[in-house]
Amino acid sequence: MEPLIIKETEDTPEIIFNPEDETFKISKISVPEDAYEFYEPVISWLKNYSNNPNEETIIEFDLEYVNTASSKQLIQVILALEEVAKNADVVARWYYEEIDEDMQSLGERYAKLVDVKFEFIEI
Amino acid sequence: MFDDNLFDKAFNLFSRVEKQDFEYVYRGYFTHNITKKILVLADSNIQKSVERSTIQKRIYYIMVEGLQNITRHQDDLENKADKYPGIFAIQKRKERYYVTTGNLVLNAKIPELKKKISKINSLEKDELKKFHKEVLRAGVISNKGGAGLGLIEMSRKSGNKLVASFELVNEEYSYFYLQTQIPTTKKEKLDSDVQDLKLRKSLISIKKLHLSLIIENIILYFNGFFNQGNLLSLLAIIKGRMNMSITTIRLSNVMVEMIQNIIKHGAERSEEISGAPGVFFLRQKDNSDFTLTSGNYVNEKDAANLRENLTFINEKSDNEISEYYDKILLDIELGDSKKSGLGLSDLRIKSGKKLEYSFHEMGNGNYFYILQTTVVNLKK
Repeated sequence: MEPLIIKETEDTPEIIFNPEDETFKISKISVPEDAYEFYEPVISWLKNYSNNPNEETIIEFDLEYVNTASSKQLIQVILALEEVAKNADVVARWYYEEIDEDMQSLGERYAKLVDVKFEFIEI
Repeated sequence: MFDDNLFDKAFNLFSRVEKQDFEYVYRGYFTHNITKKILVLADSNIQKSVERSTIQKRIYYIMVEGLQNITRHQDDLENKADKYPGIFAIQKRKERYYVTTGNLVLNAKIPELKKKISKINSLEKDELKKFHKEVLRAGVISNKGGAGLGLIEMSRKSGNKLVASFELVNEEYSYFYLQTQIPTTKKEKLDSDVQDLKLRKSLISIKKLHLSLIIENIILYFNGFFNQGNLLSLLAIIKGRMNMSITTIRLSNVMVEMIQNIIKHGAERSEEISGAPGVFFLRQKDNSDFTLTSGNYVNEKDAANLRENLTFINEKSDNEISEYYDKILLDIELGDSKKSGLGLSDLRIKSGKKLEYSFHEMGNGNYFYILQTTVVNLKK
């Protein structure tokens, strides 16, 4: 499957989904006005990937800011991972700064709502 | 606790600024990095409203000099500038732009500043050019570059005299206000007395505004057009200034939601500049909690929706609101629609308090909507 690489901008994150070298990462900042438009190709890539995933997928979420519009789309990303998890092992690694309670609690909220294994890593 | 008084003040601040045709007002910290962001903010506000690019460049140039003046003086003040944030304003009245800076200076520096300014103002165009060369050649530039070159340039580029004014703060410091005016057309020059009077009127309105911001302990204030680019600049200002802490992170998060709320709901009032006019400010008295206030126009339909959402969200307990948040997160139907109330629920959760708000009827089916949240200062 073709990897999905999206470069970061001032208000959207960097996306690296590369099954071949087993890298799955969403990082930096996510505060776009139109989060739907940004995440739509990300979600459809994952939906495709769920048809033929790697045996194990470790996806890293290493975000600095997330606006609510993005949080609404990120849950769709994680729901797509739930599909992947039906046929393979999936771990979502959620990174947060020690002082960033808000980022921590967003990850915990997702972990509670979706059937995907989460690991929390304090930076 | 519902602070009606503050709402009135927020509303007054905004309408004062609107009436005076301010295009942009910023009060807050000034550092070299922040200055860059302020320039981007200001430039995006004037860009589309000025057609002639030479004038736009001139305004830009004057803004750069003015802002550099602020940071230069700030260097003398050690940390005092934090306690007394300066002000930067752009005002457009009829065919003229006014660029005004107000910042803290040491009283000891005032005589020298006055001398430089009156020297510059005493010179005619050609003499000023000559003086500029002299200063450049003499190279008597102090280590801070304070030979008055910036002031000379501001006067030359604007083609007008500089207006300066000082307000005593205490034994050591004063606020130094400096105003430049830039005509946008080549119409015959106003006679200098009329010109002078207009300038002084404009300067007085900015000084009054600055005073209200000082009295209200408003440490960061932005009044102008809100769009995504401006949000990112303001975010960088907060990030660049304050030490990283849970309070700063939360302030940033709350600010993003409030300003995107303005961008999303704010009624546009101008075809020239993209974005919704509004006001955003951050208030902190001594070391207490932070109050964030946003104000913008909304149409009747949005006002009704917002009221409904706000009432609904405020009626819920902390647990209930968290459950409601989960529900909207998972609800695809509600998507990105304005009605979901996800942003407002998020504000309610992060501030841990009920949201305070008010709507002022403005006529023509428009309302001025003020929203206020609190972020607890955990460093107290």
